[in-house]
Amino acid sequence: MPSSWQKFLTQVFLVLAAGTFIGWLYGRPELGLLAASLGLISWQTRRLLTFERALRTKNFDDFRLGEGIWQQMYSRFSHERHRAQNYKRQYRKLLKEVRKSTNAMPDGGIVLNAAFEIINCNKPAQKLVGFRGKQDRGQRVDNILRDPRFIRYLESGEYKDGIDIFSPVHEGDWLFCRLVPYGADQHLLLIRDITERKKLATMRRDFVANASHELRSPLTVVCGYLDMLVDAEDISPDWSKPIEQMQSQANRMNTIIAELLELSRLEAAGTERAEQSVDVAALLALAKKSYSGLSDTAEVNLSIESHVGILGSTAEIESVVSNLLSNAIRHTPADGKIHITWRSDDTGAELSVSDSGEGIAEEYLPRLTERFYRVDSGRSREGGGIGLGLAIVKHALMRHDATLEIRSELGVGSEFLCHFPASRMAIEAPLPIQSKGGCNKSDIVLS
Amino acid sequence: MHTSDITDHISRRFNSDLEDLRNNVLKMGGLVETQLSKAISAIVSGDSALGLKVANDDYKVNDLEVTIDEECSRILATRAPAAGDLRLIVAIIKTITDLERIGDEAEKIGFLASKLATMDRPVDSYRELKNLGNHVLQMLRDAMNAFARFDVESSMTVVREDEHVDEEYDTIARQCITFMMEDPRSIKRVMNVTWAARALERIGDHAKNICEYTIYMVEGRDVRHTAYIEPTEEAS
Repeated sequence: MPSSWQKFLTQVFLVLAAGTFIGWLYGRPELGLLAASLGLISWQTRRLLTFERALRTKNFDDFRLGEGIWQQMYSRFSHERHRAQNYKRQYRKLLKEVRKSTNAMPDGGIVLNAAFEIINCNKPAQKLVGFRGKQDRGQRVDNILRDPRFIRYLESGEYKDGIDIFSPVHEGDWLFCRLVPYGADQHLLLIRDITERKKLATMRRDFVANASHELRSPLTVVCGYLDMLVDAEDISPDWSKPIEQMQSQANRMNTIIAELLELSRLEAAGTERAEQSVDVAALLALAKKSYSGLSDTAEVNLSIESHVGILGSTAEIESVVSNLLSNAIRHTPADGKIHITWRSDDTGAELSVSDSGEGIAEEYLPRLTERFYRVDSGRSREGGGIGLGLAIVKHALMRHDATLEIRSELGVGSEFLCHFPASRMAIEAPLPIQSKGGCNKSDIVLS
Repeated sequence: MHTSDITDHISRRFNSDLEDLRNNVLKMGGLVETQLSKAISAIVSGDSALGLKVANDDYKVNDLEVTIDEECSRILATRAPAAGDLRLIVAIIKTITDLERIGDEAEKIGFLASKLATMDRPVDSYRELKNLGNHVLQMLRDAMNAFARFDVESSMTVVREDEHVDEEYDTIARQCITFMMEDPRSIKRVMNVTWAARALERIGDHAKNICEYTIYMVEGRDVRHTAYIEPTEEAS
């Protein structure tokens, strides 16, 4: 404000000039100037001290009125203060709104810092996991959410998929947790109640299992009579063709039901216990033998580059092999080639079944393992496929901690790769593996 | 004492050592909770494979106990902690022993579950064991939460809760005796049920012990074997 400091400077100048003038009247102008300066300094120092006291006590009565530089300073200061207070009020309101809306979310949200310590969490998170708002601030999240699976997820550094865990608050409830990194080293942990979804999945599984089971007994009767009719001699030859077709369709239905049951069994069980070692090389040789006798099929080559076994269930590995191989044979013309490879290194073992068949377009690849999914619904039924093979392969592999990878190029061929982790490899194939830390009978009775 | 108390040392390494140690104890607690929860569901659903899995997984708990124990000794030797830190270490050493015992009891229950799965099942599928089990599991969870939060009040609640568990165990034991008297053929099965109930009751005692260590850690008071159920004074 130029007017106020101009006035102030004029004042100072006038006082100094007046002092010099009076001093000059007495013949000592320098003393007059000195006295005037001292007077000015002491006066301003007093004002300064009063202003400081006013700031401290918030009593600005001395500075409210008037035009001097101190009054000006006060009015600027109070103006800024009001503005700051207004902003603060607005931000507080905004913060309240944000907090209200995060609390209204159905999912739990927890803000974590780089060391996974809780910075803030919303109401649903407190309800779902049992966090306590203020008390748990600064606590590491895995101190409260102690499920070993969650801790493993936290330590893995792979946060993309999220994880299902049991609720620590309500027995039997399921929670889905997912960590989303954001900003500089911060994480947002999202928690959702998925009990209903889990229940639905169980219901669906149970329904499929029960329905297939119920369908099986009437079908057995139908199949039995059809078998008798095929062999019967006193039936007119006109009927032999229809009966044959009925029989083949009934057999097909039997296979479907058997595979559905197999699939629901695989789904219901957890991971396969690693107790038995499966000799994959021998299984592959056997599978090759059973298919090589057929006419009109592609040539099957087998290369065994490793003799490690896999810890798990023989029947399931066998069904993986036979499903992959029969798929390859079905989709490869007779002059094509099928190649099976079994190899391993320190990181794991790998089974590869590649063919020179028609291949699969890229957009269908992600859906291949869905049950009853067909790339070309018009054609593939003739080949005898049911649509459950790859679903069974996927679930059987999942039970062995293994993953299925499909590579394919249209017109060139496909390759199906099963990756087994190193933890599932059995170096000494034939030896049965002893379980660790087993508890024996005498322990129980004595303690 | 509060969580922030142990993050107040001049040596950063010491802080992070203590924090990691505490974290490991809670990790062990989480593992034991899961073991117990699986053991209970193995009994209730008659899942012998799950029961055996629990029995076979007990080595994980034991491994963790050894690791934490070594870490405690190392800190005691190299850092010579005092006051609250010393109490923290002492409480941890005792807590992991009890946690390991709980792990053993869970292993036992898992093994019993696998045996019970092969025998006749009562119509209520061991509802009383399920109730007792869930009660004890909740106690264990509360005990570990109280340990994580240095929460004396919750600890007191768990300590008092143990009485109800004892009563529940008595009821089951009496019921089992009645069954055995009614039908001597069921003795073999009912004995297993009694063992399982007994193991659950012991887990309740161990959870109570852990809470007593927590109180000791926070307040420096030893409340074992005393008539300390005076919440108004204790909570202050």
